[in-house]
Amino acid sequence: MKKNDRDIRWLPGLSWLTALFFLFLYTPLLVLVVFSFNASRSTTVWSGFSLEWYHKAFTNDAIRVATQNSVIIATLAAILATTIATSAALALARNKRMKGKQAFHGAMLLPLMIPEIVTAVATLIFFSTIGLGLGLGNIILAHTVFCIPFAYLPIKARLESMDENLEMAARDLYADKWATLRFVTLPLVMPGIISGAMLAFIISLDDFIITLMLAQAGSTTLPIYIYSFVRVGITPEINAVSTILIGFSVIVVSVSAFLGRKTAS
Amino acid sequence: MRLNATTNMPLNRLPESKPDLKKDKQDVVIPAIEMTDLCKVYSGETPVNALHNANLEVHDNEFFTLLGPSGCGKSTLLRLIAGFETVTSGNLKLFGEELSALPPEKRPINTVFQHYSLFPHMTVLENVAFGLRRQGKSERDAKMTAKEMLDLVQLDQYAQRYPKQLSGGQQQRVALARALAPHPRVLLLDEPLSALDLKLRQSMRVELKRLQRETSITFVFVTHDQEEALAMSDRIAVLSNGRIQQVSDPATIYEHPENRFVADFIGDANFFDAKIDKVDGEFTRYRLSTGDILLGPTTEARSEGAEVSIFFRPEKATVSLDLTGGLRGRVKDILYLGDSTEYRIYLADQSEISLKAENLKDGSPLAEVGTDVAVSVDPNAIRVLSR
Ligand SMILES: Nc1ncnc2c1ncn2[C@@H]1O[C@H](COP(=O)(O)OP(=O)(O)OP(=O)(O)O)[C@@H](O)[C@H]1O
Ligand SMILES: [Mg+2]
Repeated sequence: MKKNDRDIRWLPGLSWLTALFFLFLYTPLLVLVVFSFNASRSTTVWSGFSLEWYHKAFTNDAIRVATQNSVIIATLAAILATTIATSAALALARNKRMKGKQAFHGAMLLPLMIPEIVTAVATLIFFSTIGLGLGLGNIILAHTVFCIPFAYLPIKARLESMDENLEMAARDLYADKWATLRFVTLPLVMPGIISGAMLAFIISLDDFIITLMLAQAGSTTLPIYIYSFVRVGITPEINAVSTILIGFSVIVVSVSAFLGRKTAS
Repeated sequence: MRLNATTNMPLNRLPESKPDLKKDKQDVVIPAIEMTDLCKVYSGETPVNALHNANLEVHDNEFFTLLGPSGCGKSTLLRLIAGFETVTSGNLKLFGEELSALPPEKRPINTVFQHYSLFPHMTVLENVAFGLRRQGKSERDAKMTAKEMLDLVQLDQYAQRYPKQLSGGQQQRVALARALAPHPRVLLLDEPLSALDLKLRQSMRVELKRLQRETSITFVFVTHDQEEALAMSDRIAVLSNGRIQQVSDPATIYEHPENRFVADFIGDANFFDAKIDKVDGEFTRYRLSTGDILLGPTTEARSEGAEVSIFFRPEKATVSLDLTGGLRGRVKDILYLGDSTEYRIYLADQSEISLKAENLKDGSPLAEVGTDVAVSVDPNAIRVLSR
């Protein structure tokens, strides 16, 4: 039957392959989460349920400071990157006769293709050359820059799917350029902007390499703290912190995806 | 639409900030829109000359239609008036004031877009109130006027819905209410009925026409549907390839087209190449390429032997089985159209003409396929164009 021809399920072994894929993807995460609730110090042998490690993690000052740093950096970087990305997307999408538009567009996205370690080293050299020593500020600046393309993509997609006639209709109805931006363009692009901001937030929260290069004493972030801790020895405390981080990411990404879906409809 | 509600609509709701566009104190009638040598070239790798030297006057309080085939520049002309495109050269005036330098939001002109372009994130009421709010009306006043407008288009019970929860016809009426609410001097409508089904389109024709009369707003209506244009307009401008071909009232456009394009585009026409055989006072004998002689009106400045093009409309001719006069032909096809029957007839040189006979009685055909017939046309229904 024709319908079955198109159904990918007829491929032999497909369901097994799919199952294996998800097994590899999620088993390590599942183990990590499960052992964050372990009653003993072991991260391999189960000996009962307990919230002890969460309690430990929450009362650990170093973890608290690292979390604080991470959230401050990610929030500010996401806000700054999204603002810049929104302006860029508006300029590029609504300017028909702009010269070198493709080049600008490419330049916006190039950082996605440069290996992160290269960006990290380049940023480190650049900051030390100009003698920039703002502590957390350095990291925020660097994060803002590499988060821009991530914020830019969903905003651009949303802008391009928007009917330009709507902006014309607003102008026709006595709204000047600013009023049109405020009452028509921005509200309609908002799902894209929120989705871009969330993506930027997660990317920043999660960043390791660039942050490692730039972090000084006092500006440790959560990923770096976890890394340094793991080198000393793995305890369920790390599992607990990681589980919280996972939960946080899942929430943010889900909200972002949900808003993205609303965009499509 | 409940048009009697129009009386509630305060007129002259133009904001003070708008340029003063009142009529002159003298008794000169100032056209609502006046174009002189208006040109539009879309720049780009291959520039498109979308409008050539358009000269046009749209009178105040007129239902004016721009009619032409796809791509002839109708929307371009509307966008120039609305201010979405810049004029390449020439002048464009609104009630005597030069428009070219004004951005769209400063022009007391509103548009009903082809695909309505309602704001999807606003309710119907907010959509209609948008223009009023931007004109500086208070939220309360704007909503009140918006409600009146929705009443006018019979959508008052849909005020709190979002555009995508409405049918196409309803969205169309919201778009109309939104554009009329700020009471513009001129309303532009870009093929507003093309997305509606036939029945709805026909009833909207009547309503649009009445709305124009009751609001006294000048309507500039764009369509490629000649029937729509003839039915609704006070005057029609026919466009082709960025050039205005003729500007006249519907009857003149249909009965006395100035050139072959207009004759062909509006209604159906049977064209012949002909030579003037003999001028005989009021009437002239035209010798057709088929060899037949057709009697038609005498036109000035054309002498015997001149080559012309003549045509008549299908409904102006009659078909008869009495072969003593008129054009000889053989019936090729008979198309029953309900209110009329169309006969497609081969002439001697195998050219095909079409005529239409109203089905006054039971609609049984006057001739059968394959029979020889004579086609006669009243000389006064023959039109002559230069070739
Ligand atoms: N933005 C543009 N850039 C370049 N060329 C354009 C642009 N807009 C329209 N044109 C060209 O100008 C000509 C007139 O276009 P216009 O949209 O005015 O036609 P129209 O009469 O409204 O046709 P339709 O009935 O299909 O809407 C067309 O040849 C079109 O390709
Ligand atoms: Mg058009």
